[in-house]
Order: sequence, then C-alpha cells, then structure tokens
Amino acid sequence: MLPSSPLRQLAPTIARRVRNTKTIARLASTPQPCSTSTISSPSTTTQRWHSNHSANPGPSSSSVNADEISHFNALAATWWDPHGSSRALHLMNPLRHDFIQDCRSTSPYSSFTVVTEESPSDIPKSADASTTPNTSNVQKLRYLDIGCGGGIFAESAARLPTTESVLAIDPSPGVLAIARSHAKKDPSLSPKLTYLSSTIETLPQLRPDAVEKKFDVVSCFEVIEHVDHPALFLDHVAQFVKPGGWLVMSTIARTWTSWFTTNFMAEDVLGIVPKGTHDWNKYIKEYELRGYFEETEQKRRFWGRPRAMGVVYVPGVGWKEVPGSEKVGNYFLGVQRIAGEDNA
Amino acid sequence: MEAVARRKAAAYVCRSCTRQFQRQLQRHYSSAAPRPDIYDVVCVGGGPAGLSLLAALRANPVTSHLRVALVEAQDLSKVKSWKLPPNKYSNRCSSLTPASALFLDQIGAWEHLDQTRVQPYHEMQVWDGVTDARIEFDWAPGSAPVEGTTIAYMNENLNLTSGLLKRLEQLGGVSVFEGAKVEHITFGEETEDLDLSQWPVVHISGGKQLTARLLVGADGANSPVRAFAGIDAKGWDYNRHGVVATLELEGEGWGGEHTKIAYQRFLPTGPVAMLPMPGNIATLVWSTTPENASLLKKLAPKDFVALVNAAFRLSTVDLAFMHTQGADQNDEYSWRLQHTPFNPRALPQTVVAVQEGTVASFPLKMRHADTYIGERVALVGDAAHTIHPLAGQGLNQGQGDVQSLAKTIEYAVTHGQDIGSIMSLESYVSERYTANHMLLGVVDKLHKLYSAESGPIVPLRSLGLSAINALGPLKSFFMKQAAGSDTKLF
Repeated sequence: MLPSSPLRQLAPTIARRVRNTKTIARLASTPQPCSTSTISSPSTTTQRWHSNHSANPGPSSSSVNADEISHFNALAATWWDPHGSSRALHLMNPLRHDFIQDCRSTSPYSSFTVVTEESPSDIPKSADASTTPNTSNVQKLRYLDIGCGGGIFAESAARLPTTESVLAIDPSPGVLAIARSHAKKDPSLSPKLTYLSSTIETLPQLRPDAVEKKFDVVSCFEVIEHVDHPALFLDHVAQFVKPGGWLVMSTIARTWTSWFTTNFMAEDVLGIVPKGTHDWNKYIKEYELRGYFEETEQKRRFWGRPRAMGVVYVPGVGWKEVPGSEKVGNYFLGVQRIAGEDNA
Repeated sequence: MEAVARRKAAAYVCRSCTRQFQRQLQRHYSSAAPRPDIYDVVCVGGGPAGLSLLAALRANPVTSHLRVALVEAQDLSKVKSWKLPPNKYSNRCSSLTPASALFLDQIGAWEHLDQTRVQPYHEMQVWDGVTDARIEFDWAPGSAPVEGTTIAYMNENLNLTSGLLKRLEQLGGVSVFEGAKVEHITFGEETEDLDLSQWPVVHISGGKQLTARLLVGADGANSPVRAFAGIDAKGWDYNRHGVVATLELEGEGWGGEHTKIAYQRFLPTGPVAMLPMPGNIATLVWSTTPENASLLKKLAPKDFVALVNAAFRLSTVDLAFMHTQGADQNDEYSWRLQHTPFNPRALPQTVVAVQEGTVASFPLKMRHADTYIGERVALVGDAAHTIHPLAGQGLNQGQGDVQSLAKTIEYAVTHGQDIGSIMSLESYVSERYTANHMLLGVVDKLHKLYSAESGPIVPLRSLGLSAINALGPLKSFFMKQAAGSDTKLF
C-alpha cells in the first residue's frame, strides 16, 4: 500500500532518493541545451512541492529537470509520426479540447469571463450560402501552452476558429525545432502560433494590471509529472491566467494501477510510450493537485473549484472518459482564476 | 518550361533529388513563381459522391468556412439544366436507400430532386431462375422501419446530380472548375517559411494549379487521385456486362401506383432486375455475358422486348436458345410462352416497348482500394470501391462514405486537427472500410452462388432462399439491410 501522505512530504522524498544520482551522472554527458539558465541544478532539487519558503530556487531557476529535457530531445524525430512514439498523445489531443470546452461552458464565474462562447444551440441547423461560423461578435481566445513539446496541442489550438493566438513554450531545443519545422507545413498556423524556447520562470513577467496580455487558457498537458517543484511551478503560472480564464492540466495519478499501466505495460511491455518517459515517483494524485488550489484561504479566493476528468487508454480504441478514473490513472484538472488581483 | 524541366527531371532523378532540384528552381525563379492557391478541400469528380460531400461541408456551419474547390471534366451547366419530357426516362438509375435519402435531406439536397421522377418501392420479389425458389420481400406487420414502408427509392442518376448542383448553387462558396481535366498531380514547394512539400497540387487544363490541404478523390473507378496517392485497388472482372434500358410496361404494376414492386431473377448468366419508375416506366439492369450483351444491343426493339419478357418468364434453357438466334426473338417468344406455365401476378407486368436509344451496357467488376486515405488524400465512392450492381448498393456505399468523411472533417475542425492529416482521417477508414468490405464480399458471393447452373450448390441455394422467406425475423433483417435502416453494414 502506498502511504497517503500529504503532498508536501511524500513526493519530494521519493523523487530525491531516486532521481538525484542519475541526474548528476547524465548531466555530465548530455550536451547542454543552449538556454542553460532554464535548467535546474541538481543541488536545488530539494523539495518538489515546497513552494514559497527558503528552498525557493528563485525566478531564474526552473522547475524543469535537465534529464527530462534530454529525454524529450531524443524523442523529437518521431514526434509527428502518427504511428510513432507520440501516438498516444495524438490520440489524447481531441480530449484536451473537449475538456477545455467543458470547463469553459460550465463556468460558474461567467461574470468574470471576458470571453463568452457561442453555445452549440445558437448555431443554425442549416447555413445559408453566405454564413460562416459567426465568430465576429465573439472575443477570440489567447492560449499559453507550457511544455508544448512538438506542438501537438499548440497547433490544434491555433487552428480553432475561436483562437486569437497561441504562445507555446518549451525548454527542450530539439523538440522546439521539430515543432517549428512542423508548423511550417501548415500555412494557416503562422499568423496565430508563436514558439518560444522558455520555461514559465523565464517567460517575461506580466504587470499585474496587464490583463489583456494574460491568457484565457493556460495549458500544461503531461507536464507536471516532469517538473521538479510542482507547487512552485504553479505559483509561477498563476499570474499568466487572465481573471476568468482557465488553467488546464493533465497528468497521471501515482497509484499501483498507474505504475502498472504507464510504466510497466505502456513502456516495458507494449512499448506504446517510449521507455524512460515517465518517472512514477513524480506522479501526482488528483487530490494532491486539487489540494494545491484549495489548501489556503488565499488560494481559494484566487481559484475556483477544480474540475477533474479521468481518462483511460484502451489499446486499439483510444482514450475514453471514465468517471472516477482520475483517482487511479490519467486525468485532467481544470481550474478557473476568479481573482482579479495577481496577489489576491 | 519550369514544369517540363521538373517532369523530365523526375523521370531520371530520385524523388529527394528532384525535390532539391525543384527547390533550386524555385529559388532561381522565386520572383516569377505564383503564390500557391491553397484550398482546404479540393474534390476531383463531380458525380453523386463528390457533389454530396461538398454540399455536406457547405451546409454545415462548422465546416462552411472551409475553402473548397470542385474539379470536373464535364460541363456541369448541362447537368444542372438537365430535363427530359415527363414520359421519358434516362437509362442510368440507382436505388437510394432510406438512409441515403435521409442524408441527402439533412444536407438540404433532397428537395432539389424532381420528386415527380423519384419512385419509392415497397416490395421486392426475388427468385431463382433454375429452381424457382422465391423470396418475397414485403414488410410483415410491425417489421417495417420507422421511416414507413419504403424499401428504397428509384431515381435517375442525373436527377440526383442535377439536384445536388442546384443545392450547391444555393449554398454558394464552391470554386468550380468545370470542363477541366486533371493533367497531373504533384507535390508543393518548400520555401524558407513554408513547407508544402507534402501538399498535393492539382494541375488542371488551362494551367491552373490548386494546392490542397485535403485532396478528395471522387473521380471514379480509374481514380487519378488514387493513382497519385499510390493506393492499389484489388479485385477482379466478372466477365459480365450490365445491360440497362428504359422500359414501358402494359400498366403501372400489379400493386398500382402506391405499392410498387422491384423484381429480380437470378439466371445462370447473372441476375436480371426490373425496377419500378413512375407510371408505366421501369428500368432494366441485366447482368449477362459480354456476348449476350452485344446481342441485346443489336436487336430490333420488338426482339429486345421479347427477350426481356422471356428473361423473367421462360426456362433458362429456352432463354439460352433465344440468345443463339440472330433475330426474330419476338416470334420465338410468343410460341414458347404458350408452353410455359406461370403465374403472371408473380412476375413483372409485360414489357410493351423500350425507349429509343436507352439500351446500353458497361462491364462489371469488383474492386476495393487497399485503404481510403493517404497523407492529405481521401477516396470516396467508386474511387474507393466498385461493386456488382445486383444489390443496388454502389451509390449508397458512396453516400455512406461521404457522410462519414464529412463527419470526420467536422470533428477535425472542432478539435483543431489538420483535416488532411492521417491522424484526423483515420476514423473515416475505420468507420467505412470493414462495412464496405463485408458488403462487397456478400454481393460477390451472391453473384458466384447464382452463376452455377447445376451441381450440389443449386438445391442448397434454393433451400437458402426458401428458408429465408419462411423465417420472418431473418427476412426482416435482410430487408432492413437493403433499406439501410438498421446497422450501417450496407
């Protein structure tokens, strides 16, 4: 049985024990990515969930692990192969949009939402010759995709007619090169999609009152399980979410089931996920992630109630939403920013 | 010049080298190179499948913003203004299942068909020419699907294409290149900030080039788009021709104008079918040997009529003999008919005339493409599969393809997928391929089963038809399949 410890204690201890020796060894032999400032030094990987205390590595340091960067650099070449290493991610991508749609349409704080979306019932059943989807009276959305990888989500978000712009960031230069060269293959993307080699910490800070520069949707899909300080990471992310906007995440719950399915079956037996992609010890349980947004009065004033959706991968079929499965495996978590002030 | 050089180069140099060469050319003539004319969907082929797809995309508010083009070799204005006198009918007719009719209604095209020329039918009579075992397809009380008691609708293909063109004109927004032949299809260019090297470019007569995010091959059995995508189509020729003709009967059918009946008799040379059209008109589809087909086309009208009547009435031996006669089948038929007992009410009414110039034939074959999709390519209708006409399913399969592809594109648009990528097209293949393959197989086996004149298979197949006829639920299943109202197997 896994001890059900508070998230501040359990994850860091295991992560520290398992990862650090390996990290140091690999760093020495890995070619350094060009933006060295984005890599955390192994010595600072103290407490993953320790957010606002003395162990804070400071804004110049990052939550992203160098080991992870080199792993994803190595995967870059097959990122866009529909039958390659990222097939499971390609298949999951439409669900991300469904989840965002779901979050935004059931927003309990719609008065804060700057953007209102056309509900499907407003769409006329049969369009006349001249009518195109009426998006002119709808404020278009600004997306920030953190840890965009090869750009599977970023490209798809940019293609949506309701999107104004997508800023996609990732610290792995190899995958960003793939992302950029793949985006060149679709002329509709360049007006809306921008890639930036950056982590959330190195992204230029926004003035608290620069609401129009903030984002309606901030996404970090399959990212949190790869960062060293999730709480610190989320602290940084908060300021980029527009009041009324949504922070949307997906990750894997740390359970025996997820170890069996994502580490043992997916990586070792079936090979549908490249070996070494997942470090089970970094997985975060749904209640741990949810807890971050609800742990203090301050956080509860800033964030709305998190929404979760559990999904299960069925080989040969794809991803399916399974209510309750957020407790055992892959899940989405979405949370709306309700506070207008950055430091509320 | 540039195009010629490139084509020549392509003949001698490997593809990657050619690409490089193209790039150099591109750089060299960069100021002269026209900006690519990019469409979301370029549909090659303006038949029922291609036109339905464009109408479906234009009619759906989710996909109506897509930039779409149609390339068709024929002059479409003639098709659109197609008109025949009320008592004259085209010889190319198809059976539209209620499922196809519903889809055409959903995309707003059904109302544009001339309804006075569409004939629903409510009963099917199918029997074995050798043993006379019979199956009557009529709806037992309570077994009819909800749409009513119509099994299918008989309709001239031109009435459908003309109606679809009228609907497209009403919807607007389609760049139509008619009377335009596809000269060749190449890949796009790669420049510093744009890589179209995996985008098909359709070169049409007159020098126009259309770059396609998704190139749809609705261009028939010899699909140039399928050839471009390198997709093989496997199958065989039946060594049979389908003879079609517009027939005039002695009346409007045994059931009157409100209960029309379709008839099909399995002869050893292939099935002969007579399908009801409005009034006293019926359309003939007779699958037979190429020799018989050429004889039928040469006969005087009265002898042709006699042979058609004989095909539904006389024994297969008598019929075979009549095919050996060069002429005068009419006299032979009158004499032999006196010696053949039959129940006239179980057969189609007697044919009294054939409309002039409507006897034609085409070779029958079975083909199935290895897949329906490639990078930025999708195949629909006959470009994807060619089926024996005995079940009247060819056009309906195409409509099923189009409905599925339009749904796939809609899903891709709402989820930000690239509508031309394999990833987003996969669901189209998985939805249609197995269903089409099963139907192709069933129809192929039916043809082979009934081509046998003697041997152990003959009593068995009669037992099959009689058994199906006796078993209500099984018959109802077959009828629902024929009507396309149950599972989307057909």
